[in-house]
Amino acid sequence: MKYFYTLIIVLGVSLLGLHVSHAQTGLPLELTILSSRTLNGTAGDFVTVQGQIKNTSRAAVSDVTTYLSLVDTENKLPVDLEDWSAEKGLYIGTIDTGQVFPLSWKIHFVKAGTYALIIVATAPISDTPQVSAITRFNVAPKRNLNPGNILPVALGTPVAIVLLLSLLAYKRQRRAGE
Amino acid sequence: MFKYIWQKEIRGQLYTWKGMVWLLVASLLLSFTSYLLLTNKELSLLDQTELLWLLSKIIIGVALLIVTIDASSIITTEFEQETAESLFLSPLSLKDFLIGKFLASFTLWLALFVVATPYMLATSAGSNLALAFMGYILLLGSLGVAGFTFFVFALSLFYRSSKNTLTTSLILLLALATPALFSSTLKTAPVIGAISKINPFDAIFSSLDNILVDYQTSLWQNWQFILPLFMFCLLTFALLIFTARLFKKQGIIKSSE
Amino acid sequence: MTMPEVITARNLTKHYGATAAVDGLELHVRQGEFFGFLGPNGAGKTTTIRLLTGIVHPDGGDILVNGFSIEDKEQIAQAIGVVPESRGFYEWMTGAEYLYFFAKLYGISALKKVATLLEQVGLTAQQNKKVGAYSRGMRQRLGIARALINSPRILFLDEPTLGLDPQGQKDIQNLLRSLNLEGITIFYSSHLLSEVSELCSRIAILNKGKLIAEGTLDELRQRINRKDSTLTDIFLAFTQT
Repeated sequence: MKYFYTLIIVLGVSLLGLHVSHAQTGLPLELTILSSRTLNGTAGDFVTVQGQIKNTSRAAVSDVTTYLSLVDTENKLPVDLEDWSAEKGLYIGTIDTGQVFPLSWKIHFVKAGTYALIIVATAPISDTPQVSAITRFNVAPKRNLNPGNILPVALGTPVAIVLLLSLLAYKRQRRAGE
Repeated sequence: MFKYIWQKEIRGQLYTWKGMVWLLVASLLLSFTSYLLLTNKELSLLDQTELLWLLSKIIIGVALLIVTIDASSIITTEFEQETAESLFLSPLSLKDFLIGKFLASFTLWLALFVVATPYMLATSAGSNLALAFMGYILLLGSLGVAGFTFFVFALSLFYRSSKNTLTTSLILLLALATPALFSSTLKTAPVIGAISKINPFDAIFSSLDNILVDYQTSLWQNWQFILPLFMFCLLTFALLIFTARLFKKQGIIKSSE
Repeated sequence: MTMPEVITARNLTKHYGATAAVDGLELHVRQGEFFGFLGPNGAGKTTTIRLLTGIVHPDGGDILVNGFSIEDKEQIAQAIGVVPESRGFYEWMTGAEYLYFFAKLYGISALKKVATLLEQVGLTAQQNKKVGAYSRGMRQRLGIARALINSPRILFLDEPTLGLDPQGQKDIQNLLRSLNLEGITIFYSSHLLSEVSELCSRIAILNKGKLIAEGTLDELRQRINRKDSTLTDIFLAFTQT
């Protein structure tokens, strides 16, 4: 009997430990960024971040939401994705056992720099989110603005208006003098 | 018959330099602003769209201010300079009078747009947004100008005084422009949020943000911003009709002057 | 031959607040008359002209001008010319431009008409000067030219010689006489009794909004029983009772 109770206790502790470690080790989801080699670009480009999420457990996982997270590694700052992506979070719902679900975000490279990108997944069954590997990419600057373009306009337009004013005044003066 | 009033006003603007001075002031302001913005921020694409967004706000804001000031006196000076009586003794109707004056104010806006065109072209070069940038400034500016002009004209017919009309118009302009400058966080507050839904400045700035920063350039993608502007124009037009009827009832000369 | 009535006002009334500016006025002016409309300051002369020309709406009564009701604004505008009390001009326009502008409003082909009018009022030499540089007399003449732009059958004038020097007054008076001889009915409001007595064939006297006397100079003399009285005597006799 003593051995039986010992067995029950050991089994119970093991199960509890498994549950705890399960909760502590995160979701049974595998996140992969597929376009890690193709993300480099130039400021102004629109690119698609392709990824996938796979359920590696034996049970379906429900209410899954995935997010993009971006960090400016040059300035050591997180990037507010408001201008970069129309959709920051993708709600998936339920992923069945072994199911692979494709993920896709269209993002707009708005600023030059070097960045690190991860995909994060959350679900109610765990407090710990699951993250993908880090993908690093560069956004090269695009030089459109040339102050030389504006100088002729900034000087020329007011001068043109003054000339037009003077011409009108001269014509009116001549007519009034007739 | 309204075209004669329109022509008279345009010629008055040219020959009294009134209109030309406004164009010169706007041009100097745009020269200073665009040069300053361009020389300080030359390497970043975000800065170019941000620059275009800033510039578009300045163009429309300045245009609305200038047109409001001009429209405040275009009708009221007829009463103050005592030319209204001889004008309305002719077969000219109130409707033709108002249409002619409106077209004159609107022409000032179009002239300001023409003056702003070289700045818009120079700053949007290389961004693939030049056409959308200019097209939407023309559309949104036109709706904003039309709406404000209707309102100012309604005030003019009501007050018959340029001082009172100008004061009230500028108060409204400031009252509408200031909340539009608040951040989106503040706009979630109930009162500011409600004002923001009917505020033409909000509609204009949000639309420009949608076009220039989010690249949503089709009309269909901006209908939710253009519709409030149309509603604003309809509302102010209705106010103008109401005050015009009141004006007709009171007569050209209101009191025993 | 009795000429038809061109200006008819029946029981015409206009109040400003509690004050009756015009009170039950009856007026009948016949075609071709040079009708003088007298009254002290504040009598209601300007208000009456504004009522008859449609600038102000009456509170009561009927008005017919050239056979049209005052509601027929366009018909009346084409039939009358007015030199109103308010003397505003577009100062930046030249005299010619000013007349061209009004000619267009009346739908008149401008060139020849404007040249004729400028000659008629003696402003040909100043036609290309800005109105802002015109003297008072020149502005009055320009106002008359504008009033004549549509070749009106009836001319309303509200104090047209006010502030003019004697020569200026004489020029205007001569011009108006010649217009009257051409058949234009003239409704002449003034408080300058000397010129009214010289120019007008019939005179009405207004006081505190009411018509207190009407008739030719002789008829008015008879009414106060003073054969040799001047218009000043007549005016004082009626307005001080």
